[in-house]
Amino acid sequence: MALFPLTSNFEGDFVLQLVAVDSENTMDEVAAAAAVHSVGRRVRARPGQILRVRRQGVADFLPRAMRVSESGLKPTETIEIIWQAPQH
Amino acid sequence: MALLNRMDWYDLARTTNWTPTYVTEDELFPPLMSGDFGLPQDAWEKYDEPYKQTYPEYVKVQRDKDAGAYSVKAALERSRIFENADPGWKSVMKAHYGAIARGEYAAASAEARMMRFSKAPGMRNMSTLGCLDEIRHGQMQLYFPHEHVSKDRQMDWAFKAYDTNEWGMIAARHFFDDIMMTRDAISVSIMLTFSFETGFTNMQFLGLAADAAEAGDHTFANLISSIQTDESRHAQIGGPALKILIANGQKAEAQKRVDIAVWGAWKLFSVLTGPIMDYYTPLEHRKQSFKEFMEEWIVAQFERSLTDMGLDLPWYWDIFLKELSETHHGMHMGSYFWRPTVWWNPAAGVTPDERAWLEEKYPGWNDTWGQCWDVIIDNVVDGNMAMAYPETLPYVCNMCQLPILGTPGKGWNVKDYPWEYNGRLYHFGSEVDRWCFQQEPERYAGHLSIVDRFLAGMIQPMDLGGALNYMGLAPGECGDDAHNYAWAEVYRALRAEKKAS
Repeated sequence: MALFPLTSNFEGDFVLQLVAVDSENTMDEVAAAAAVHSVGRRVRARPGQILRVRRQGVADFLPRAMRVSESGLKPTETIEIIWQAPQH
Repeated sequence: MALLNRMDWYDLARTTNWTPTYVTEDELFPPLMSGDFGLPQDAWEKYDEPYKQTYPEYVKVQRDKDAGAYSVKAALERSRIFENADPGWKSVMKAHYGAIARGEYAAASAEARMMRFSKAPGMRNMSTLGCLDEIRHGQMQLYFPHEHVSKDRQMDWAFKAYDTNEWGMIAARHFFDDIMMTRDAISVSIMLTFSFETGFTNMQFLGLAADAAEAGDHTFANLISSIQTDESRHAQIGGPALKILIANGQKAEAQKRVDIAVWGAWKLFSVLTGPIMDYYTPLEHRKQSFKEFMEEWIVAQFERSLTDMGLDLPWYWDIFLKELSETHHGMHMGSYFWRPTVWWNPAAGVTPDERAWLEEKYPGWNDTWGQCWDVIIDNVVDGNMAMAYPETLPYVCNMCQLPILGTPGKGWNVKDYPWEYNGRLYHFGSEVDRWCFQQEPERYAGHLSIVDRFLAGMIQPMDLGGALNYMGLAPGECGDDAHNYAWAEVYRALRAEKKAS
């Protein structure tokens, strides 16, 4: 349990933002923490879609239940928060 | 007694180099300060300044200029221009004075370095006059706003800004420290006078003078036009130095300094001047868009200056041209959304008419920047103000110290340009910012950005109040919407109209 700073690059927003999470947060929790600073402020919510986390420049998302401490992310590393339509 | 014509004696009179006998040449001109690039004194004696002026001529001309600018100020002091000006225009003045006035005064020190340490006698003469110019600019741009301090606390930032850790001022100091306060005489001549002044002060001083006259602020228009006439003279100090460097096999070093300084200047103007021209200046007073102005006055002229000099366009020129349509929109959105952290009141500039203008000047604006503004506007119209302010810091670039941003909405292209150096992860706003840093990492690596300082616990408490206190923004000085959100009424009326139909 430790405070862990990350840099949020939120799909549709215009700027990178500092997001403080906990090292034991899951990627879903990280996405939710990042959304606080973008959705409803400068980015419209997309009902029915979920938010996924990936490293910048990497196509694959990190598993939703993966914890920050297991992800290999470095403090202040930039993560992309991407909208994902429901999988059918 | 008949006086000789200036050109009959000028060259001889300013031939002030001699062969030192009591000290070595390196003691007289320490390389760290003079920046001789390994060239002997006689190479620098070939420096031929294109603008030759003597001290008596200088004093006479400057006296007339001062008399002109100060008399316009005196004549218009009772005109209540400040009281009656559009709030967006007041913000232009506040941003300008805070960012520029003390920087001009600091530039006197940079000019003094060329005056004392340059091995080129002609440069020493021009810089003597340049130093006096910069003292004049500092004094005027502190004296002129002073009459408004009693009316508006934010005007106090004309003097105060440089002593604070406000984020924009950290960026401005970082840039000016880099190009003029911590460089040798020759590098100052290339980075400050050739790159920054030739390239960019036209932007601030010509464009803004036209906007000021349009806005009816003749005091401000005269002031900055008066300053610009000095700039156009002392901006020519760097050109002959570049010619000497190129002729002596130092083109690569000269080009690198130009490339670093031009990029830093661009970033600073994208946050200072871009929002002013495209958002703060009332629509009816806008002459050109920021992009049009840049293309006409900066790009075309600077391309010519570079090629005339025998230099290449900076390697990133295509990136720069692309950014002319993008970066300042983000800088505006950032300074508006984080408006409590600036010392002026940003004008939103996004009424339907203004948006139509933006769409015309920047096709696609509504699908990109407009998408973010739609959300901000809805929150303001709904009175949901908590969501119209930030709750965290934007991540800033470790080179330019400005927010790392890109195009939002349907054109989303925001990207970090990271680099790990000596175990620390640095973040940059562009490939070019990262390249600038990498040219001399040790020069920049120790600097802490505002975000680095926050993460290091230097800003306490770690909330907005703590941040404002750290930035020196006292109550009554923090920025808010220039028009107190009056523009939202247009959108309320449109909504009511839509509902009624």
